[in-house]
Amino acid sequence: MNIFLLFGMGLFSLVFLCLYRAVFGPGVLNRIAAISAIGTKALVILLLMGFIYNRVEMFVDISMVYALLNFIGTITAAKYLEMKGEL
Amino acid sequence: MISITDDIIIRAVARILIPFIQVYALYVIMHGHHSPGGGFQGGVILGASFILYLITHGLEEAKEKMSELKAGLLSTFGILLYSGIGLLCLIMGRNYLDYGGLSTILKVVPAQARSLGILGIEIGVGITVMAIMFSVFFDISTGGILPEDEEDLGVNR
Repeated sequence: MNIFLLFGMGLFSLVFLCLYRAVFGPGVLNRIAAISAIGTKALVILLLMGFIYNRVEMFVDISMVYALLNFIGTITAAKYLEMKGEL
Repeated sequence: MISITDDIIIRAVARILIPFIQVYALYVIMHGHHSPGGGFQGGVILGASFILYLITHGLEEAKEKMSELKAGLLSTFGILLYSGIGLLCLIMGRNYLDYGGLSTILKVVPAQARSLGILGIEIGVGITVMAIMFSVFFDISTGGILPEDEEDLGVNR
């Protein structure tokens, strides 16, 4: 069995743990951190998919955009909280 | 209204990161026919860099870099580029957006003219998408009312 597939499935199962924290987590900060962690995991899974399909150079581009938009999304959510003044 | 952040880390990271984001967006636009990407995706990344600047440096500074007027003008300029290239092909006796007709103007073989023509289209799409992304975020974050308009409209917030 392909080792990249194995690690990808392991990371995919870990996403659900973060999803639990994002849905039921107490407070908004936990949710933001959980969404950010899910984005990072999705990025690594995309790179592993690139290894499985032997097209890493294409998937690197996609995962870089994913990391970028994840960063900007997290900052935007934090800024929104700062403006609303509630944590 | 979005004001500048007090946190120096956020401001420094944004200031370092924004040029790299924009260079990467240009790469996505230019390299769109060999790798995933193209005009729309590159435009979204380019717009995200301006949105990051607006979030971290506040509305006042962001308006100097990219005001709403500039965004509107740029969005129409992108569509003008798109339709201009299409009409140029029409004038040269081909179909609309049939870039092979550009080979006599650019003095290259038709295959290269097609490549250059689609690159021009992608650049036009990228400019439009960047301006519209920024304009949508600008309108949502200000509610459509700029701070200098508030006295004119009598809005107290």
